[in-house]
Amino acid sequence: MSLKLHKLKDFFKNANGRVACSGLFMGLGQLMYKQIAKGIVYIIFQIAAILFFVFFGAKGIAGFITLGTVKGNAWYNIKGDNSVIMLLRGLLSLIVLIFYFIIYIANLKDVYKTQTRVAEGKAPISFLQEIKNLFDKNFYRTALFLPVVGVCVINILPIMFMILIAFTNYGGNIIPPELVDWVGLASFKKLVTLKQFAPTFFKILLWNMIWAIVSTALNYFGGLGIALLYNKKCVKGKAFWRVFPILAYAVPGFITLLAFKFMFGYGGPINQLITGAGGKAIGFLDLDAKWIARGLGFGVNAWLCIPTSMLLATGILGNMNEDLYEAAKIDGAGPFRQFVSLTLPFVLFATMPVLITQFIGNFNNFGIFYFLRDGLTIDGYFLASDTDLLINWLYNLSINNNFYSIGAAISIVIFLITSVLSLIVYTLSPSYKQEDAFK
Amino acid sequence: MIKSIVKKRIKRIKSSYIVNSTFTYLGILIISFIFLFPVLWLVLASFSKSGSIYSFNGFFPSKYSLNSFKTLFTDTNMYNYPKWFLNTLFIAVVSSLLGTFLVILTAYTMSRFRFPSRKKLVKATLVLGMFPSFMSMIAVYLLMTQFDLIDKPIGLALIYSAGAPMGYLTQKGFFDTISGSIEDAARIDGATNFMVFIKIVLPMSKPIIVYTLLTQFAWPWSDFILPKLLLKDKDLYTVAVGLMTLGDDEFARFAAGSVFIAVPIIILYFSLAKFIIKGIASGAVKE
Repeated sequence: MSLKLHKLKDFFKNANGRVACSGLFMGLGQLMYKQIAKGIVYIIFQIAAILFFVFFGAKGIAGFITLGTVKGNAWYNIKGDNSVIMLLRGLLSLIVLIFYFIIYIANLKDVYKTQTRVAEGKAPISFLQEIKNLFDKNFYRTALFLPVVGVCVINILPIMFMILIAFTNYGGNIIPPELVDWVGLASFKKLVTLKQFAPTFFKILLWNMIWAIVSTALNYFGGLGIALLYNKKCVKGKAFWRVFPILAYAVPGFITLLAFKFMFGYGGPINQLITGAGGKAIGFLDLDAKWIARGLGFGVNAWLCIPTSMLLATGILGNMNEDLYEAAKIDGAGPFRQFVSLTLPFVLFATMPVLITQFIGNFNNFGIFYFLRDGLTIDGYFLASDTDLLINWLYNLSINNNFYSIGAAISIVIFLITSVLSLIVYTLSPSYKQEDAFK
Repeated sequence: MIKSIVKKRIKRIKSSYIVNSTFTYLGILIISFIFLFPVLWLVLASFSKSGSIYSFNGFFPSKYSLNSFKTLFTDTNMYNYPKWFLNTLFIAVVSSLLGTFLVILTAYTMSRFRFPSRKKLVKATLVLGMFPSFMSMIAVYLLMTQFDLIDKPIGLALIYSAGAPMGYLTQKGFFDTISGSIEDAARIDGATNFMVFIKIVLPMSKPIIVYTLLTQFAWPWSDFILPKLLLKDKDLYTVAVGLMTLGDDEFARFAAGSVFIAVPIIILYFSLAKFIIKGIASGAVKE
């Protein structure tokens, strides 16, 4: 840090007038050093930035702060402000502003470098050389440009937007043309105190934790178990037996989910068999089927996810050192002991990052109960059912019922839980510390 | 005396081996049945003569015919399956090509280059990945209205491909494991990093490219949240959204529609199985 500060001090002490010119207007300094092409490129950027902020950006950022001042009224033919669109445009302008600053600083660095080179008696780097560098020394910049821009617009911008929404009163009756306002932490307060939301929130949170832990463990050990079973020496035709789990892996998830819903429905084949045998039809996914439905969820999720963990475990087991087992056998370790002391630590070490991903995936497993018990709401829950996870509740609240700011607050809670958990595990895991170990 | 003891021992080992393998095979048979049965049920249902699930005899249709497949493609007034199919195919092809290009580029760069802001980028993508995936749906929807991309399949394809680099870790894992010595040799011979990427890295990374192409291609066929939000016109639905609108009494049609898209995907997966297993394993760290 101090090195950076030192460099900055040097920069302000040594920079000459030409650098200052570039500081005032990008590209001027480069022109003075007779770097015509590069100068023109920077000047074009500068002009584009000015035009953008005069016609769009300044208004965007102002709207970001006020969220609109004029309320629309069709009766008097007043075209009001749309607060939500203003927020979005404001964010877009801010992102452009950040990009502008990055280019601006690159411009200063560039002309300062030229100044030092000239002072040392060397020729400035030519434009052609600069372009060549983009395909060689600085190839990472060229390569990452498109992905970064895409992720900024498609991922970062929407996420920022929703984070900000959590601090507004957007939702319920307050949707455009009504004006939205900044309200600070009010949505979070509502979530944990208001009678409408709080009981549902805590009930769902508890179930969500149970679900994530149990289903991750179930899928992980299920997959490992099957992989070990198929790896046994006495099994002939391993490739053939693996076809069945891969089949399950290849069928698109929503198809299986809907198929299971049909299968366990009232008119479905399982109930037909039960009634055919003289029994009474069971509402597996009914209103009062709390634990039956939850259990079914675990089963269906296992059916969907075990093939992936099985394939993963098979791949990892293939890398294991066979000699260790021979040594263990000579020392008198039984199959169980071999599993606990050899197989498990090895597989756990290798799959730690995947395990985290699977945990988060299960924590936010939207599809399972969305398909199995679509749209069900239950007494004691506000717009949710007893199998719904936070993510399902979030969907019901914000997409189906306009509770946008509450929904956004829930997503931030989900984010905090999952990110804290996984950052701890991730930074502790050996695979993070030894990233460069096998280069 | 000794001979008989040895014989007994061998006998005992043999019988325990037989018991062991019997149980093993029993387990394998049960597991295979569990994974096969729902799929088989769906396939048979698609050949049912009457469409409704209520006319089934237990698990299986009472009469078989190709009726459902015929109506799937001819009766397009209410449910325009051929249109849905073409839409999804278009989205899948575009996002698989574009998305794979972006992911491979990102993963390779993050694996090979050590540049100033690299660690920051790694951490940022990790943090961003923690946000619930569709918490931003509303914002994406608003963004698409701003770009005038609602009800346009290309908008969906752009979202899928632009978001793809976020999942670069699997591909990075692959590049981390292949040694950089050939690349270094080429650099010493004067090749630029760009040339190294095009001429050496891309041909070497066929398994991971195939894996990425396949997963990117398969995703639009099963995603339903985003297309449901962005495609309002019934004729513009993707297959997943369209099939979801079918009710209990259209079960055979649902089954037929599912089988029709699942079979090509399954064939692709099986013919490329070795790439997939490699790809899945790349996500994990090897010693």
